[in-house]
Amino acid sequence: MRKFYSSAMAVGTAALLALSMSACGSERDGDGDDAGSGKGFKKDALIGVALPSKTSENWVLAGGLFESGLKDAGFKFDVQYANASSPVADQQAQITAMTTKGAKVIVIGATDAAQLSTQVEAAKKSGAVVIAYDRLITGTKDLDYYVAFDNFKVGQLQGQALIDGMKAKKATGPWTVELFSGSPDDNNSGVFFNGAMDVLKPLIDKGDIVVGSGQKDIQQTATQGWKAENAQTRMDSLLTSTYNTGGKTLDGVLSPNDTLARAIIQSVKSAGKPIPVVTGQDSEVESVKSIMAGEQYSTINKDTRKLVAETINMVKALQGGNEPTVNDTKSYDNKAKVVPSFLLPPVIVTKANAAQAYADDPKLAPLTK
Amino acid sequence: MESAPPLLEMRSITKEFPGVKALSDVNLVVRAGEIHAICGENGAGKSTLMKVLSGVYPYGTYSGSIVYRGAETRFSDIRASEHAGIVIIHQELALVPGMSITENIFLGNEPRRFGRIDWKAANSKALELMRQVGLTEDPDTLIKDIGVGKQQLVEIAKAFAKDVRLLILDEPTAALNEADSQHLLDLLRGFKERGITSIMISHKLNEIEAIADSITILRDGRTIETLDVAAGGVDEDRIVRGMVGRSLSNRFPDHRPEIGDVFFEVRDWTVRHPISTERLVCKNSSFNVRRGEIVGFAGLMGAGRTELAMSLFGRSYGVWLGGRVFKDGKEIQIRSVAEAIANGLAYVSEDRKAIGLNLLDDIKTSVVAAKLSKVTRNGVLDEAKEYREAEQYRKSLRIKTPTVDEGVTKLSGGNQQKVVLAKWMFTDPDLLILDEPTRGIDVGAKYEIYGIIQRLADEGKGVIVISSELPELIGLCDRIYTVFEGTITGEISRQDANPEVLMKQMTSTKKTLTP
Amino acid sequence: MSRIKELQKNLFGGSTSNARQFGMIFTLIAVIVYFQVRTDGLTLTPTNLIALTQQGAYISILSIGMLMVIVAGHIDLSVGSVAAFTGIVVAKAITENDIPWPIGILIGLGVGALIGAFQGFWVAYIGVPAFIVTLAGMLLFRGGNQYIGNAETITVPKGFQKIGSGYLPDIGPETNYNNPTLLLGLLICVAVVIREFRARKVRQQMEGAEPTPLWVSLVRLGVLLAVILFATFRFAGGRVGTSFPISGIILAVLVVAYSFYTRNTAGGRHIYAVGGNARAAELSGVKLRRVNFFVMMNMSILASLAGMIFVARSAASGPQDGLNWELDAIAAVFIGGAAVSGGLGTISGAIVGGLVMAVLTNGLQLIGTGADKVQIIKGLFLLAAVAFDVYNKSQGRFSIVGSLMRPFRRDTPADPVALAEASREEEKAPAAG
Repeated sequence: MRKFYSSAMAVGTAALLALSMSACGSERDGDGDDAGSGKGFKKDALIGVALPSKTSENWVLAGGLFESGLKDAGFKFDVQYANASSPVADQQAQITAMTTKGAKVIVIGATDAAQLSTQVEAAKKSGAVVIAYDRLITGTKDLDYYVAFDNFKVGQLQGQALIDGMKAKKATGPWTVELFSGSPDDNNSGVFFNGAMDVLKPLIDKGDIVVGSGQKDIQQTATQGWKAENAQTRMDSLLTSTYNTGGKTLDGVLSPNDTLARAIIQSVKSAGKPIPVVTGQDSEVESVKSIMAGEQYSTINKDTRKLVAETINMVKALQGGNEPTVNDTKSYDNKAKVVPSFLLPPVIVTKANAAQAYADDPKLAPLTK
Repeated sequence: MESAPPLLEMRSITKEFPGVKALSDVNLVVRAGEIHAICGENGAGKSTLMKVLSGVYPYGTYSGSIVYRGAETRFSDIRASEHAGIVIIHQELALVPGMSITENIFLGNEPRRFGRIDWKAANSKALELMRQVGLTEDPDTLIKDIGVGKQQLVEIAKAFAKDVRLLILDEPTAALNEADSQHLLDLLRGFKERGITSIMISHKLNEIEAIADSITILRDGRTIETLDVAAGGVDEDRIVRGMVGRSLSNRFPDHRPEIGDVFFEVRDWTVRHPISTERLVCKNSSFNVRRGEIVGFAGLMGAGRTELAMSLFGRSYGVWLGGRVFKDGKEIQIRSVAEAIANGLAYVSEDRKAIGLNLLDDIKTSVVAAKLSKVTRNGVLDEAKEYREAEQYRKSLRIKTPTVDEGVTKLSGGNQQKVVLAKWMFTDPDLLILDEPTRGIDVGAKYEIYGIIQRLADEGKGVIVISSELPELIGLCDRIYTVFEGTITGEISRQDANPEVLMKQMTSTKKTLTP
Repeated sequence: MSRIKELQKNLFGGSTSNARQFGMIFTLIAVIVYFQVRTDGLTLTPTNLIALTQQGAYISILSIGMLMVIVAGHIDLSVGSVAAFTGIVVAKAITENDIPWPIGILIGLGVGALIGAFQGFWVAYIGVPAFIVTLAGMLLFRGGNQYIGNAETITVPKGFQKIGSGYLPDIGPETNYNNPTLLLGLLICVAVVIREFRARKVRQQMEGAEPTPLWVSLVRLGVLLAVILFATFRFAGGRVGTSFPISGIILAVLVVAYSFYTRNTAGGRHIYAVGGNARAAELSGVKLRRVNFFVMMNMSILASLAGMIFVARSAASGPQDGLNWELDAIAAVFIGGAAVSGGLGTISGAIVGGLVMAVLTNGLQLIGTGADKVQIIKGLFLLAAVAFDVYNKSQGRFSIVGSLMRPFRRDTPADPVALAEASREEEKAPAAG
């Protein structure tokens, strides 16, 4: 019986202990909104940066720039990439962890723009300012700012470059082209494609531009997973089905980025056909070389340095209690509100302006000499 | 009689596992060119001793010394012992079913030419080895396509491919029928003439008596005695006395059967092989069972006894082609195991580990597994009831275990068999079909199992016993059917049953009825 | 028998299959304590606990089904795709066809049931290995998700979002805590006490069984109550507007229901019987096909539920939903003590396994470890956890604690080698030990 009482005591003690431990753990006292914009926060506060998985050079570069930039500005930082195996869920967890740690600003390069609203709301409620980086987060009114290159504009520039390039080779139409778009599970794919079609569609309707294979919509032209091999396979079959017989020549190919552009050129080369005008994007080293060699026609320069620098400027402004600079308060409606945005203009780069465009880039500048 | 030094001498071998002394101070002397049998109950240490000898337990993990061909040896692994010409053939055959006879004979020991396997040489050498062991098959035949008896011969041929001097056979005839067993024993005699020494572990005392020159008896990890057969005075009783430490005057409990009326009858049962459409495994088999009666089914391996039993038990084997079953005069339908159980049938399989038990289960779970409805209410288990039921069987069948919470793997073969019996007794059957109920069980446990079977009969149930051991059938059964190639060839009453009569019926298609 | 051994036996029912759980609970505590220290107490804050629950709920729901599939001796690789497929179907139904969201949930479960019946048919009635069937399903339903969704992300309405990101509401008097959560905690405490005493009563009815010592019951009760109270106040004390998540309640209900089913019903027994030895089960009258069909179908239904909860939490159904969920669920099940060959494992083990992984990931994220390193650490952890167990089994030590205590025990039961020996040689075995 003695044992019974001592055990019972132990039970009681344990329960009381749990009670007292938990009681002081309540988070209900504060109203949580003490760090809204306008008041500023400590100079060494934690800034969270959540980026998509490390599958592209650009994100890796951005992460490095955020780390060094935030460090130089004196902030504590936590820069995270989502894992590649289940990126959406992982990114959600990372943002939640940043919130828990009390980050004052959370910069998010969304893996899937529509699937983060719950986390953004939670972050906002616990006092963080949320900035969408490069990709707009939709469906939440708690997103504060958006910083990006203008992707629709990227598409338009690609379309225009395609037309310019073909005109330079053959002054009048009709020109025969093929269209490629990005991965169907990336929302930007559609934005690029629609931007390009915004420019190309009128000419297609007029008959000045003919899509040789007739494959014009985004499902038909998609490149699963942004994979070079998929673009190359599709180009191979297009060449076989459409350009092998009948004397059709391919004048131009709309390619959404550099990796795919090079795969397309590779395919044309191995088929022994003349290289058409091929567009691109991202200013990848190999593509800049290709442009200088006269193979790929154009790429887009989206200077990650500038975008990161602009984002860090926003963070600094918020720290000081100031309203960050934005240059667009109308265009970006995320279905819950119009998000104040800072948009950087993309630049089209061809052989003609490459030296000038990459003058500040230590890696690319030598290639243009 | 012989003054030559012994081929092998194991001196004061002691092998301990944590908490268990498997061998303690065991001595074994094997003369060159003899057949030396090692006897003992399960757990006496026979297999452990052979593992020490063959290097499975390497030098250093046991104490004592092994003197082989005049010099002390210290085997570090099986390869080392095989190199010295000691080859062990385990109870579970180490053959790859999907490979040919040749490939199996030379597995790990392939004849090579310029680094490539020389299949031509392998094949001709395999043929020679097969001739030596009396195996006539195409060497390209796959192992899975030949019977267990022939597989055993392949194992021995494999041993020969390694230049064997001392052949160790662990229960070589356990899975063989009488004819194959006989062939194997003849073969061993032939080896003896060629100067190959054999050590044989066996439970079958009649075989040992017939073939062994010397017999070493182990009990509880100790050497009890070594008998010289040539000196005379060695018979089964003598061996049993050594093994169990007392004389088992009668290997079957006394039993006075009280046999009632026929209550279970099968007519014209015909079943075909599950894959081969032309092969009938049961041909128009008809038989009956009376209340309180123990009915035996005798037959050679592959005669179709197990197939008959399993096809009756809810069509668990083959494809049913025809036949009717009557119970208490009424025809019953048994299309599934559930129906079989509902109709009071129980089938205890010959292979309790492969298909009789879930080895992950504990005892109580196993006991109630075939009739969960008895311990559930609206599908919900009554754990207390389950425990009580299992506990009852633990007591009444004397299952040796501290509690029924123990896993069944912790039990010995005999006790596992008791659990399987309990499992089927729990279903309240009217007819129990016991397929090889004492296979791999030692003498003492067999006696207990026989007692249980007789008790079941006394409760008015019918019991069918399928066994390959004729003495067991003769000693236990009130009536014996013989089966040959799927046909019931004879029905022999207890009074008329003797091995000669049974063997005759088991090997001929001619029907003779002597009830 | 030492106290610890006794405690272990009584806490987890004593069978060896549960021993890994015992080890895993210690691992879980160690991981929590480690990160609690490393993160300066962030790990056990209300916010983080709530986040952990929401993040872990859908994977844990999957691992309930996966546990049953694996116990029955199968595997299901399609769960992530099934979840994603259901997610997009439900999202489309609700947003584009104006179906009320509660009906949407029913539709989702129906889709899961249909998919499950489809896969179960091939596995159970045709006999195609589940690995192949669900590998096909994985491709099929991933493709189906993209086909239906056009790879778009479709937002779901607020009401639907509740099942993934909702909380118990704040009602009742102002207590500085969330009242429904407090009430829930209290109810659980009462239930635990009742259950303990009923278990004691059942044990007492087992004649011949040694009854659980009273002190063990009390210690177990004390620990459980302390943990429940602690959790209750933590969850109730979250930021205003948050409390115990609804997804957590769904999970808890499922865990209780399925634990009961697998442990205490004939149907549950049959799953273990089929996984342990299918032929033996069949010869004991278990309807093999029905069991296989059921576990596969059940898995897909739970996968569809998990998919909907994830969509609700993410506020939208997207093309990357469910990617590699099967791996997380399978890892949780194996860390929780299930056997690769089937027949062994418990729901609570799978949940604990999932919790260990979730706390590990969360803790690493809180201290700012990159996703690359998190994955490396998780991979190594999975390997280590299972390898440790396999090693222990081969050494015959069935648990971490057992192995720690081993050098000090004199009453060591028979060594496994000897045991293996025993079963081979059919010894009268452990009696010797």
